[in-house]
Amino acid sequence: MDLSKAVKRYIPMSETMFYILLSLRDPNHGYGIMQQVKELTDGRVNMGAGTIYQSIGKLEGDGLITQIREEDRKKIYAITELGTQVLTIEAKRIRELYRNTEGLL
Amino acid sequence: MRDTKKVWLSVFRYVVPAEYERWFEAQEANGWHVDKIGQWSSILMTLKKDKPRKYRYVVDMQFSRRKDYIAMYEQFGWEYVGQMASSYIWRKEYTDERPESFTDPEAVEARSKRFAAAVLINLILFSLAVLALVIGFIVTFGETDMGQRLQFVLGAALCAAFAVYLWYVWRKILRNRSK
Repeated sequence: MDLSKAVKRYIPMSETMFYILLSLRDPNHGYGIMQQVKELTDGRVNMGAGTIYQSIGKLEGDGLITQIREEDRKKIYAITELGTQVLTIEAKRIRELYRNTEGLL
Repeated sequence: MRDTKKVWLSVFRYVVPAEYERWFEAQEANGWHVDKIGQWSSILMTLKKDKPRKYRYVVDMQFSRRKDYIAMYEQFGWEYVGQMASSYIWRKEYTDERPESFTDPEAVEARSKRFAAAVLINLILFSLAVLALVIGFIVTFGETDMGQRLQFVLGAALCAAFAVYLWYVWRKILRNRSK
């Protein structure tokens, strides 16, 4: 998938997709992603097996992440160049949102 | 000897995935346990009486699962109960909060859509069967006797009745897709 198509499909990004991509800057398996995201969000975002499995399938199919190896039946995934580009665009959008909320709080 | 109970056609009675999960959970809460689910469980399921258990059931549909599907669910603490065709049954014992497998609305809807798609495929197949029987009936009309014609009509009526049921199921799953 090319970048413009990926941007159209993923931005604005769901919290699930955002945190999976963010987490996969370090290669990890599904369960590891859940643990890391839970830690990053102080337990607020607690993703289930079905959600992670499904999201990984979608992200892998669109080339935003890729499987890099397999450790006893568990697949290890990592973000791709395309995934990093999309994540960066989303991060910029969030930064803009953040700037625009100043003065509200 | 332990008490057992037989349940017929449970799959066809609780067609919305979330309702089927709740049904399993209610059985467990009343002490009726499912040991193992296999291909034929959709027709006939045997439950065994024991102590009440608090279980969360998850019903999922995967047409072509990746190699890590089972491993990932198991790593999250889900027990594989079995599968009927492409639908997978998972469960997990819990005490406080009812665990979820689909934790965001997008995933919940995607799960419902997979079930709806499976039903739709069968709906199309049964509709084609009706069409084929009607065509067969017309084309062979000159050479068939009453008995053979009746077979065509009965076959078509049965397939049509099932197709209507599948259409109802499909609509019901889609209406409840965010559950």
